[in-house]
Amino acid sequence: MNFNSIEYLLFVPLVFLALLLAGARFRWVVLLAGSCYFYLTLKHLYLLMALFGVTAVTYLCGIGIERCKEQRWKRAFFWSGVGADLLVLAGMKYLPFIEGNLNLLLKGVSSGLAVPEGRVLVSIGVSYFVFQAVSYLVDVYLEMEKAERHPGYFALYLAFFPKLLQGPIERAGDLLPQLREAQPFDQENIRAGLLLFGWGLFKKAVVADRLALYVNTVYGDVHAYTGLTLWIATYLYAFQLYYDFSGYTDMALGTARMLNIRLTQNFATPYLSRSVAEFWRRWHISFSRCILDYIFKPLQMQFRAGKNWGTAAALLIAFLASGLWHGASWCFVIWGGLHGIYLASSVFYKPWQKKMHRRLEVEKSGLLKVWQTLFTFHLVCFAWIFFRAASVSDAFYVVAHLFEGSSGLADLFAAQGATDLAIVSVSGVLMLSVYLVRERNLAQKDFFQAPLWIRWGVYLGLTAGLLFFNMDSNAGFIYFNF
Amino acid sequence: MTTMERLNAIFCEVFDDDDLEIAPEMTAADVDGWDSLSHINLIVAVESAFKIRFNQRELLTFKNVGDLLHSIESKIG
Repeated sequence: MNFNSIEYLLFVPLVFLALLLAGARFRWVVLLAGSCYFYLTLKHLYLLMALFGVTAVTYLCGIGIERCKEQRWKRAFFWSGVGADLLVLAGMKYLPFIEGNLNLLLKGVSSGLAVPEGRVLVSIGVSYFVFQAVSYLVDVYLEMEKAERHPGYFALYLAFFPKLLQGPIERAGDLLPQLREAQPFDQENIRAGLLLFGWGLFKKAVVADRLALYVNTVYGDVHAYTGLTLWIATYLYAFQLYYDFSGYTDMALGTARMLNIRLTQNFATPYLSRSVAEFWRRWHISFSRCILDYIFKPLQMQFRAGKNWGTAAALLIAFLASGLWHGASWCFVIWGGLHGIYLASSVFYKPWQKKMHRRLEVEKSGLLKVWQTLFTFHLVCFAWIFFRAASVSDAFYVVAHLFEGSSGLADLFAAQGATDLAIVSVSGVLMLSVYLVRERNLAQKDFFQAPLWIRWGVYLGLTAGLLFFNMDSNAGFIYFNF
Repeated sequence: MTTMERLNAIFCEVFDDDDLEIAPEMTAADVDGWDSLSHINLIVAVESAFKIRFNQRELLTFKNVGDLLHSIESKIG
């Protein structure tokens, strides 16, 4: 079930009721059973089996790493665990991609050669819990965390339903203690969690799904459009993706908050970043932290003799891996590669850029900030073309026709009607205002300290917005696919 | 010259700051310009000055200057 479905709105109160009846001692049992049921509603039993397999292997290897005295045994447990987890991921997500490409290659050698292609499996959630399992093993191996001895809490750490399908990817040190200690029911947290959930749902059902109308029209048939239309569709996609994913994250954080658990914030106004490096500190934070800590840093250390070249190579490899993590397709590999190139090249030009800014005395200039923000946004959007396009050839078509006229623009906006256009525009203004209000007020006072009429105005406005303007599409979240 | 003083000299050179005074509890957040790039330069400089080599595990678990110092001392024994 999706967070934006009626079933979920019934499921969460039922979990609450069960928690109330079960008491603190069996809290983990209720949450774990609820999480398994939640995963089962996707109607693929093998997903639950994969989760069980990864949980069992990771749990045992974690204890193995900690108990062994000898370094080589620690290492053996570590690599067995990581290897087994990655094998599950590879089997479920990458096998069709590997088989397809292998067959293409074999076809080139001889037309009779081919490996059998298996059926494509649904792998929702697998990339997330496998990544979390690997991060746990690394932390135990590096002795940054103790291995969890209680199988129930450990299973819940991987399966906890608010973050199961699409993250945030939680570090053991952040989530496990909360699962052990959190007491259910705190009025403040329920109120804050509900508001966050509602706000996330609004972002998803009103804003992101409506932006999708325009984006899907263009990206569904890119050859019918050129120039300005492609630019606009790509900008809109950047915001669709942001509202889709940050909306989801708000709903995940909101649900967890109602259960007294704080999950990691995944976004911090990423499109206001002034460099691609900063963008990755503000976009999908829980994931980029993993990529940096578990792929980039070890590689950077390994390549340290190469100095800047070593760092650049580590960045490129880390972001290619990040691309592959998103999906087994060449589009994602190119997308990751582009970010890798942006970051790797900045290793070389950044010191010069700093010197130049100092010499021109523009270091603190507001204009420079605006320019850097816009430039970064465009670099990110350029890479989104590959992220969104249906195929590599579609993406290259878009890139090749960015500066050619603006065909299809009027039709695109006319086709969706004036109401949707108005809602999109009003939502845009609303999002911007909320951002500005939050930026100014956050440090001074809490929303829940605001006068009654403001609070209830927001509650009612949000509810009305959701009731009247939701897209009713029950559309899945984009990041489910990864 | 103690190990601490030698290490301090390396910090001054890498971060281009003659007034830098290191302390065991100091972390990357306390030193201007100590990011992942300069961290690598620091590690390479330490390794070549003390003629030692850190392994991956050590490098990934240093939390502050004290950890680094401790590791150097254990290696030069």
